[in-house]
Order: sequence, then C-alpha cells, then structure tokens
Amino acid sequence: MTATSLGRPFTVVSLLPRLLDTNGDAGNARVLAQRMRWSGHDARVVDVHLRSDLPEQIDAVSIGSGTDAALLPARDGLRALVEELRVWSNSGVPILAVGTGWELLSWGIDLADGSVLEGLGLVAGHAVPRSIRATDDIIVASKYGRLIGFENHARDYVGAEASPLGRVVYGTGNGDAATGPRIEGLTMGEVFCTHLHGPVLARNPGLADHLLLAAFNRHGLAYSRGFLAASVDAIAQSARNNAAVRLGQSAE
Amino acid sequence: MPFVSSFRHAPAILIGRVVRVLARWRKPGGGSAIPGVIVNRIAPGFLASTLNGFPLGLVIVTGSSGKSTTTKMLVAVLRAHGLTVFTNQSTANISQGLTSALLERVTLSGQIAGDVAVLEMDEGHGALIAASLTPRVVALTNVMVDQIDRFHDSEMVAALLAKISARATETVVLNADDRYLADLGSHLDATVQVARYGVTAAVLGQYPRGLGYADTAVNRLPAGTGLQLTRVVGRDADVLFPTGGRHIRLPARGIHYAVDALTALSTAQATLGERFDPALACAALSAMPAVFGRGEVVTVRGKTVEFVLVQNPSSFQLNVDSLEAGTEQILMIIGSDVRDPSYFWPVDTSGLGHVLIASGLKAHDIALQLAYDDVVVDRIEPDVPTALDAFLALPDPVFGVKTIIFSADGMRRTRAHLGLVSNAEDPE
Repeated sequence: MTATSLGRPFTVVSLLPRLLDTNGDAGNARVLAQRMRWSGHDARVVDVHLRSDLPEQIDAVSIGSGTDAALLPARDGLRALVEELRVWSNSGVPILAVGTGWELLSWGIDLADGSVLEGLGLVAGHAVPRSIRATDDIIVASKYGRLIGFENHARDYVGAEASPLGRVVYGTGNGDAATGPRIEGLTMGEVFCTHLHGPVLARNPGLADHLLLAAFNRHGLAYSRGFLAASVDAIAQSARNNAAVRLGQSAE
Repeated sequence: MPFVSSFRHAPAILIGRVVRVLARWRKPGGGSAIPGVIVNRIAPGFLASTLNGFPLGLVIVTGSSGKSTTTKMLVAVLRAHGLTVFTNQSTANISQGLTSALLERVTLSGQIAGDVAVLEMDEGHGALIAASLTPRVVALTNVMVDQIDRFHDSEMVAALLAKISARATETVVLNADDRYLADLGSHLDATVQVARYGVTAAVLGQYPRGLGYADTAVNRLPAGTGLQLTRVVGRDADVLFPTGGRHIRLPARGIHYAVDALTALSTAQATLGERFDPALACAALSAMPAVFGRGEVVTVRGKTVEFVLVQNPSSFQLNVDSLEAGTEQILMIIGSDVRDPSYFWPVDTSGLGHVLIASGLKAHDIALQLAYDDVVVDRIEPDVPTALDAFLALPDPVFGVKTIIFSADGMRRTRAHLGLVSNAEDPE
C-alpha cells in the first residue's frame, strides 16, 4: 500500500539566509514549501544559521547567494554543516545552490587578488575570476524545460563540463568556453547548482517540480502539482515569455 | 569664514553662461548639464571653491537611503530659521549638474547669495568629488544592502561614506543605530565632533524585522547623548531634545520618515549651533508637503490616492509593514528598473493580503512573488496607463485609501500618465 502522507510536515531548510540572500535566492525555499502545500501536504521552511538550528529530518535544501564580503563567514558556516550536506547529497535529498552558494560547495574560489578560498569540495570544479561581471538575463535549454533567469556574477565556473544543468541559449552561464557549446550550472545526483536568480524555482516550476519529485520519491509518496500551482505557473510562463521575446527568442 | 572673492574663475563663469544660452537655443528647456561639463573642464576649481565659500559652509547629506527626504527636511528647517539655502535637486552626475546650477546664481567673483549650501550626495559620486570639498557638516543616514545598485556590499558603501566623512571640518552627524556608521564614528579624527542620533529600544522593538540597515548596532544611544526618537505612531513622532520632548507631524507614515526627520533635526542643530530652535524646527517639519511618490497623498480624478515608492528591499519591507492594515485597494507597478526580478524576494509581502492589479514591465514577476506569499492578485495588466485608469475608475474603498506602490520607473510612468508634476518644488 502506498503512503499518502508523511505524518509530519515536509521540511525545507534554507542555509545561512542572513549571509546568502543578497539576490533573493533564499526565496527558493519558500517556493518549494509553498508548492508542497499546494499539492496538499503540510510544509515548513527552517532557516539554518548554526548546526544547532538543524531540524531532525530534512526533505530539501536551499542555498542562496551572497556578497563577496560574506564569502568567508558563509564558507565557514557551510563547513560546519559539511557532514550533513554529504549525507544529504548521497541519500538523494534535493539540494539547490545558487551563485556564491554554489561556488562555496566547489573545490574553491579563485579570488581576484590571486588568493584562493577553499570550498567544501562537495561538487567538482572551481570558480575563477571573469574580466567583467556578467549581469543580464540568461536562457538555458535543459531537460527540465527552457530555464530563464537573471545572472549576476563576477566569476566563471570551470569543471562542470561533464554534468551541466543545461546549454546556454542567451547569456554567459559558466563562462566563455573556447570550444564547444556554452553551458550553465552543474548537476550531481539531486544536487543542482546554477547562476540563475529569479528566484530560479519560481520562474521555472519545471525544475522546482523535479526537486519535489525527488523529495517525495524518497518517502514513496507521489507528487502531483496542486491546482493553485497550475495558475501560478501560468504567471511564471508569461514572465519567462516576456523575457524571451525581449531577447529575440520565441514564446512558449 | 573667509570670503572667497577672487575673479579667478570669471572667464569660465562667463563661458559657462554663454554655453547655457546656446544649449537652450538648441534645445529649449534642455542642455542643463552641458555648461557644467565645460566649466568643469576649463576651471576645475570652480565647483569646490564656490561650494566651500558660503558663510555657514557646506552641509553634505549622504548614505544608502533617505538622503533625498532628509535633505528636503533639513532645507525646510534651515529656511525656517531665516537662512537662505543653496541646494541641489538631483544626484545624477552631481559635479556637472551642480556646476550648471551654480552658474545660474553665481557672480563673476564666484560669490552666491546665500548663507549655507546643503547638498544631497550619492555615496559613489560623493566620494569622487569629496577630496576637493571642505564640508562643515557631513550627515550620514544609513548603510543598506541593495544588490541592483552598483555597490555590491556594505563594507564598500561604508568605506565610501568614511571617505566623505573624513572631509568634515566640524561635525559628522550619524545614525547610531547603524552598526557600520557607529563604527565609522568611533574611528573619526579627534578634531571632528560626532553628533549621534538614534531611536529608543521601545521604538526599535515595534519593528521585529529591524529598520532595514545592513547591520543594526547592538546598543541604543544612551539618553542625553544625542537626539532620540521616542515614539512613532502613524504620521506622529516624538523627538527628545536636550531641552525636552517635542511632537512632529510627519509628511508621511512610516518609521523611515521619522528617522529621516531625526537626521534632519540633528544636522540642523549641528549647522545652526546655538541658533537652533527645536520648536521652530519641529513646526517647519510638520508643515512640509510630502515628497512626490514617497507616501504622498494626492487627489487624482476626484479620488484620494496614496503613492508609495519602493527603491530597495529594505524600503519595500518597511513600506509594506507600515501600510494601514486592511488596505483594500492596492495597485503595484514594477517597471524595467528592476532588472533582476528576485530583487524583491527578501521582502515578505504577505501583509498586503490582496492586490487588485499588478502592472508594469515586471507585472508578472511581481505577481509571481505575491502569489508565493499568499497574496491574492486579481489582475495582471502590464500596460501602466490601462492599469491606472482601471484602478482610478473603481469607487473609493470602504477601508483605507487607494494605494499605489511603485518602483521608480512605475512612478515616472504614473506621473506622466496622470499629468502630475512634482508637487514639492523648493521655493526659490
């Protein structure tokens, strides 16, 4: 017999939202929890600043992006959670990391002054300085649909070539590859890393629902998009289409 | 103050005036910055020597947010004390715009009729031109994080403000509740006085989300060490002066206007010294018309409408939190100036409850955020004139006033469509 409920609220953790919410990406946690509610399940967001804030059970993880001034405290804050992050990523808990939150999960960040900030080493690759900040809309073709967001980063990402999130249709993404298609983001199991702000999950519910499927499947529960989500997703589609048309792409 | 009375810049002033006339022939009403560009090129010292030459000196107001309102409030208070004040209208391209504005008034000897200059400066441009200025008083409002701004982090903003403050010859006025400014104040040269102002613990306690500063100082200003804001309820605020408490009727509802008023009062006190009269100052603030788009209540097409400008996540949150509960008619206009739609997501908009229309180029994006915050949005209408017409045509609400919340681009389009001009022009 298939279970129909978890018996406790679904729990989305937002890691270090005081340090990693400059671009509003902690909002991705809100999006996941709200879509869980819209699918008929109780859900909550727990902000985690310290290890002691961690709830007992976790169903999805959101890590946002911060300023460069906060890189060191954010790295140290995440490092305090590195064992949990490793367990979560190995056990299929969906993890979304955006911008500097992603960079901090990598091998490390090459800073403009030549020094290197060591990362958590959870995902392959590292961040390297760009000559000019990439600040524009970005369109990515992915297996979760056409993703549209806003990128705003002063570093490229090297080493995600084997498992990117998608191919850049418009914008910069991981950087200006000398050869081959330009790529954006990184995936590893149910770990998703991206430069896309928006927040990416509100703008691109296809990706959000993929994360939710992973979260529900771990408990043998079926996920179905709620009625309210359908109407909200129509708004998101209009928002994406407006951006696409403005950038000379077709509407969907 | 020594009188600057040399004809050193006379040729440049004359050329600037000729260029101004030519620029206006070519484009009536326009060309205002061009004379400034030219004079700054041929007489680079003109701006600084003129600004530094007022009898009561130069006062600079800077910080992340609230500069504009604070400057207008300060000017009103100084004028109420009988001073003739030279002030600037906008912050863009400050040195060119200022030079052009000065050219309109200056005599060939480089003198301007006036007692004091009060300038609003954006932290970036201000830090650039500060090296040539010797302000008597520098007032610092706050440090807020604003990622669509060109300043990516608060340390950088604080460093720019420190650079401007370092030019003060007499007093630096600062917000003691802002941790960055409090730190800045404790590192200033000992020859400069620091005038601190702040809110009481009781006032801060009313705002569980804080006042929007990048970092709030741990301790409140001890009583008696600076002007204190002791109460804010709607448009009413109480300020504690060394001589006792006084009441102010603010030009708009909201804690940030109250803090702006406090900043203006503290700066006026530093500028006027013993001439400062708290009763006169509070009366002048209470008599001010609201600044366009910042909580201003106007009558349009026979309807009472409140305009609320949101310029960054902090001001957005404070504005949402200070709207009258149960306001039933809200129109939200977010335009092309908000490039990254996630910009406003740190804001919890759930308090709005119900928005009648989402409009502007980013109508769908703001509607998306509202939907995820459980705010009901009745209609999405990206075309601003259509949205405004529909909104104004509705009968008056039973509860609250018609409220339009807009970004700067939304404000510009609203003003253009409704034929509104800025209502709070400074009297010449």
